[in-house]
Amino acid sequence: MAGLELLSDEGFRLDGRRPSELRKIRLRLGVFDQADGSAYIEQGNTKALATVYGPHEVLGGKGKPLHDKVIINCQYSMATFSTNERKNRPQGDRKSTEMSLHLQRTFEATIQTHLYPRSQIDIFVQILQADGGNYCACVNAATLAIINAGIPMKDYVCACSSGYVNNTPLTDVSYLEESQGGPVVTVAMLPKSEQIALFKMDNRLHVDHLEQVLEVASKGCKDMYAVMNAAVKEHVSRMAKSMECS
Amino acid sequence: MLTSRSFVKKTRKGGVMKVVREHYLRDDIWCGSAACTKCPIDKPVLEKEPVPEVENTLCSYPHYLLLDTNVVLHQVDILEDKAIKNVILLQTVQKEVKHRSLPSYKRIRDLIANETKRFYVFTNEHHRDTYIEIEPKESPNDFNDRAIRKSLAWYDEHFKDTPIKIVLLTNDIDNREKARNEGRVAYTVNEYVKAMEGRPELMDRLAQIETKERERKANDSDITAPGGRNVLYPEHLSSYEINAGIKQGRYKKGTFKASRENFREGYVSVQGMEKMVFIKGLANQNRAVQGDIVAVEMFAESQWTAPSTVIAEDKGSKEDVLDEDTDNSHIGPKKGAVPTCRIVGIIQRNWRPFCGVIMPAAVKGGTKHLFMAAERLIPKIRIETQQYETLAGNRIIVSIDSWPRDSRYPLGHFVRNLGAIGDKDTENEVLLLEHDVPHLPFSEAVLSFLPKLPWTITKEDETVREDLRHVDICSVDPPGCTDIDDALHYKPLENGNAEVGVHIADVSHFIKPGNALDTEACSRGTTVYLVDRRIDMVPDLLSSNLCSLRGGVERFAFSTLWEMTPEAEIVNVRFTKSIIKSRAAYTYEQAQNKIDDKSQNDALAIGLRGLLKMAKILKQKRTDNGALTLASSEIRFSMDSETHDPIEVERKVMRETNSMVEEFMLLANVSVAQRIRQEFPQSACLRRHPVPPLSNFEPIIKVALTRGFELQVDSGKALADSLDKANIPSIPFFNQLLRMMTTRCMTQALYFSSGMLPEDEYLHFGLASPIYTHFTSPIRRYSDVIVHRMLAVAISADACFPELLDKAKIQEICDNLNYRHRMAQYAGRASVDLHTQVGMYSSLPV
Amino acid sequence: MASIQLGEGEKTFIIHGICKDDLRSDGRTCLSYRNFELECGVVSNTSGSARLKLSNTQVLVGVKAEMGPPNPLNPSRGGIEFFVDFSANASPKFAGRGGDELAAEISNMLGLVYKNKKMLDYKSLCVIAGQCVWTLYADIVVLECGGNLLDAIALAVKAALYNTRIPLVTVHKDMDGTEDIDVSSNPHDFVTLDTKNLPVLVTVTTVGSGHIVDATLEEEACSMACIVAAVNKEGAIDGMVKKGSGSLTIDSIYKMLTSAKQIGKDLNKSLDDFLSKKGSDMSSKGFLT
Repeated sequence: MAGLELLSDEGFRLDGRRPSELRKIRLRLGVFDQADGSAYIEQGNTKALATVYGPHEVLGGKGKPLHDKVIINCQYSMATFSTNERKNRPQGDRKSTEMSLHLQRTFEATIQTHLYPRSQIDIFVQILQADGGNYCACVNAATLAIINAGIPMKDYVCACSSGYVNNTPLTDVSYLEESQGGPVVTVAMLPKSEQIALFKMDNRLHVDHLEQVLEVASKGCKDMYAVMNAAVKEHVSRMAKSMECS
Repeated sequence: MLTSRSFVKKTRKGGVMKVVREHYLRDDIWCGSAACTKCPIDKPVLEKEPVPEVENTLCSYPHYLLLDTNVVLHQVDILEDKAIKNVILLQTVQKEVKHRSLPSYKRIRDLIANETKRFYVFTNEHHRDTYIEIEPKESPNDFNDRAIRKSLAWYDEHFKDTPIKIVLLTNDIDNREKARNEGRVAYTVNEYVKAMEGRPELMDRLAQIETKERERKANDSDITAPGGRNVLYPEHLSSYEINAGIKQGRYKKGTFKASRENFREGYVSVQGMEKMVFIKGLANQNRAVQGDIVAVEMFAESQWTAPSTVIAEDKGSKEDVLDEDTDNSHIGPKKGAVPTCRIVGIIQRNWRPFCGVIMPAAVKGGTKHLFMAAERLIPKIRIETQQYETLAGNRIIVSIDSWPRDSRYPLGHFVRNLGAIGDKDTENEVLLLEHDVPHLPFSEAVLSFLPKLPWTITKEDETVREDLRHVDICSVDPPGCTDIDDALHYKPLENGNAEVGVHIADVSHFIKPGNALDTEACSRGTTVYLVDRRIDMVPDLLSSNLCSLRGGVERFAFSTLWEMTPEAEIVNVRFTKSIIKSRAAYTYEQAQNKIDDKSQNDALAIGLRGLLKMAKILKQKRTDNGALTLASSEIRFSMDSETHDPIEVERKVMRETNSMVEEFMLLANVSVAQRIRQEFPQSACLRRHPVPPLSNFEPIIKVALTRGFELQVDSGKALADSLDKANIPSIPFFNQLLRMMTTRCMTQALYFSSGMLPEDEYLHFGLASPIYTHFTSPIRRYSDVIVHRMLAVAISADACFPELLDKAKIQEICDNLNYRHRMAQYAGRASVDLHTQVGMYSSLPV
Repeated sequence: MASIQLGEGEKTFIIHGICKDDLRSDGRTCLSYRNFELECGVVSNTSGSARLKLSNTQVLVGVKAEMGPPNPLNPSRGGIEFFVDFSANASPKFAGRGGDELAAEISNMLGLVYKNKKMLDYKSLCVIAGQCVWTLYADIVVLECGGNLLDAIALAVKAALYNTRIPLVTVHKDMDGTEDIDVSSNPHDFVTLDTKNLPVLVTVTTVGSGHIVDATLEEEACSMACIVAAVNKEGAIDGMVKKGSGSLTIDSIYKMLTSAKQIGKDLNKSLDDFLSKKGSDMSSKGFLT
């Protein structure tokens, strides 16, 4: 094989992880003061920033207010320097429009939309550095930002991708692994009820292998949840402490 | 679960793009030794008490070997010896080897897979304590060397409380000294091998690598090399200069072909040029060896020369003069001059191990010998050996290591002794090697994917497969055949039609895509039949046992079942994976007798008669369509069952039953071809036989005309008809001779991937079939395995995988198969030639 | 610019404070600058980057050096291109194409200032004259928008350029003149840019009869006009623009420029000091702190 060996015979991936390991996750809630909620997450070298504005009155030409539920408005953008090769525009291209739509679907499925009729919630995510699993990082960051904004959700939404190489599923694929043309499955999941809010697949994968790959992805989501939940709890207790002090 | 610890970013610049990749460092990478008490290892690779097979006077203590990259690259021949065990192979080393030489990488991977060799791969670049970062101004080479020493130090520390020592083997004196200065044990391979007690012959296998020093000196002083030897050859350009030159059109890329008549002359077939370009003189050939891909510089027309008319053989009289007879007298174009060039650089070497014989040393008792390859186009190779006495008169294998500028001949090393010249096994070996037929025993890694015996049919198998054990199936093959891959049956149906079945061994059930077994079979491509030996494509357990549809045993098959009218019209075809139990394995002769013997009326006899009747109709139809019946001059040897020596030579007899089996195989192949083409329009593995250009037929048209026959060659049908007419009753052999010659005029049939060609080129000319493939011999042809997999996907019996859908990948496989098939054919013919000659020689009256 | 709406009383309060008492709502004097938070090397896949937070204004600048054909008018000079992205993170108003106009204005202004040959050694960015030069793409993302955006952007751009590492390339020349480029595989081989001549931007905002620097969003809402001056470390002015809908007298412009020069000089100095200490960082925590 002339291409890159994504998984060595010794069982290590190119970056030194084992097949079932996530990348290093670092995150923070409440990075901006102006927004109603914000969060920042790093999954390896993929870095995403999310802000949430709202619920507020319906602004602009983005459709009419809905009488029974809130409008979720999402925008996905990528900093022009985020990719290895510089992008010309941060958003508005097909890919980002698609991503925006995916995000919107994901969060319409999880936010308690019936609580805020006739209003709008804006979720903006921006990729600052892209190294694979961009969508996942965005979903995770947005979830944290929504929590930070205090908007009720059915559950966390955690996203994780997985790939399939040499009959072995890989968790949380990096850009290098994504770009080798193998199948990549992206799953956004509500970890408690194990419901899948979004499922997306690139490239071909035989249906027989789907189950394993899906399983690995959902395991990744749950691992993700553990990390996110711990961070939220810590953030909240710190907030509580600072409130006590003041 | 996040088990990654600290991590370091690694910046890599590919082109001018800054690429940042994560690099995790871990603390759960173990040393791999059974002697270690610190690491929790389930399956240690390195032995607890590494006592070497051969006593080593340098390292008489228990030790593990740690290899430097250059050792793995150049000395695999030594590493493969059983005396070398308990070896630590670093990830860094493995990576560099893969980058520099894929063949070496493949061999080292085989060694790692071989459990008895105890090669352990240590992932040093992801280990927290052995990871290092490149320093400013450090060359990649120095960096790798430092990484190796870092791991060496780690291992040394790790085993400091045990009696085990770690020994670094390197070819680089520099690295050895650095390691020693750091207090480690380090030897060069030469030192280490020399100190092995009782294995002096191993010394011969050491590759003669140019030490860096020598190279440097040779480049510094262009006139003389160390030892006052003359630099004989011009320098090669660097790959960088070559690429730039080719881009500008200053140089051309081509394949070097040595001249058969004159060792001083050669040709280069340059891409995009119809005629081969001529090269005169060894200096202009500049160390190119037959088959190398080279860069050439064309001469101006005034410097063109003509190939000489003299036949010259390299006697190698003067060691340090290249072209003593270079006559530069002619200025201006010579009579008959052709485009001429010189070689400026080598793009890719085509060096492989060569078979041949050793020549006596110039000085009696000397160790320096010349080696003469069986292939005349290969230059003599200089080797050094202590065991001339043993090797003289034997066929041996030698590898080329390098060809320095000051050496008249390439330098090589002895690899293996095949045996005495003239010995049957030896000669077979030579034949296989020279035709590039992979024939080594299957590696451990390959064998590990074989099913475990005793093999039984499970309940699960019975649910997914159609049970055809009740059907009266039999096989018809040549006598002595042990790899039976097809069987047949015929069953009259109530509606007057008949069910005809062709059952093919289900090899793809045992060979799963992508594993070592599959890769090996794919690389071998075909089983090679020599007169007295068969080189299997798949291990014996499969070819002669589990996949062989022997009589009376239950086997898995892939069945094609037709419902046919008595006129042999196909009403209906279906494919299924099945379990069958062949009632009998007949030879062609036995089957013929059974058919002819009117007293036999059992199900098999009726079946065979039915099949024969159908086959005749099918054949007629095919011939009407323009299929050619061509003859080949195949001969058979009857073997002495004890010694396997050929006793007599006979021409192959064609019986009706031969063509009966053939007819149904063709039918099955066509049916399958249609089916997989439907399912895989872009990537079906098919076989085509291009229409031969009319010019090919010129010679036989002439021959036929001399006897007054006019051959029509504008279509297959016309050709077949006119061949039938060309009969001279008084010379019965004439027609057959014509047919044999027609065979020679044909183009080669080829495998291809359906997406690579327009549909009208799928045609199989010889069989007059618009579409064709190979399905019926998966035991001995890899193409059939691919086709089986495709058909299995088509009938949803098996899972699909990405390679099957990749037309480029399939084409790549097909290209290899085409090459292997051609080589197998040549090898088979060469074997027949060899035995014919031996047979004639021994039957000569003394 | 992202504006906020203020009541008349609040405006009067701010204006009075500035004009009469030299005192602003956050306690500063008219010409005092707030502290800002600066960090270099936050985005590891860029050639250089910097994040700057000035109170509620936050910008992120990434510089990518890319090789490509030069401008035909200047075949032996590299160049720099600016692109400003108003992230929707800063305000929902910037969603979609909401921030484009403003972005174009700012990038044009930066382009104008950096066009000056003295700013950077553009000649050194040339790899092969007429064929291949380095172009620096300085991409600015506005993450939070809370007043005095231009100053913040200019500071961050200068810091990011200081932080920029351009891979070392060597040019091979062939006998017949064709050239090929080789990039060193050693990550330690890079060149940095000389940023000592780069100016910062100082926005001086008129509020009532007085003028202030480093205005907050509220103060900007009280102002009709401002001037933006590019000031280098010597205090010389490299460029100037007047913005806003109000008009200014020549006299007041002169006064404002005097303030801008002084502030600019100080700002440059403190920035240069910081950069010489921390400007070469290649990995920092970014948003995690």
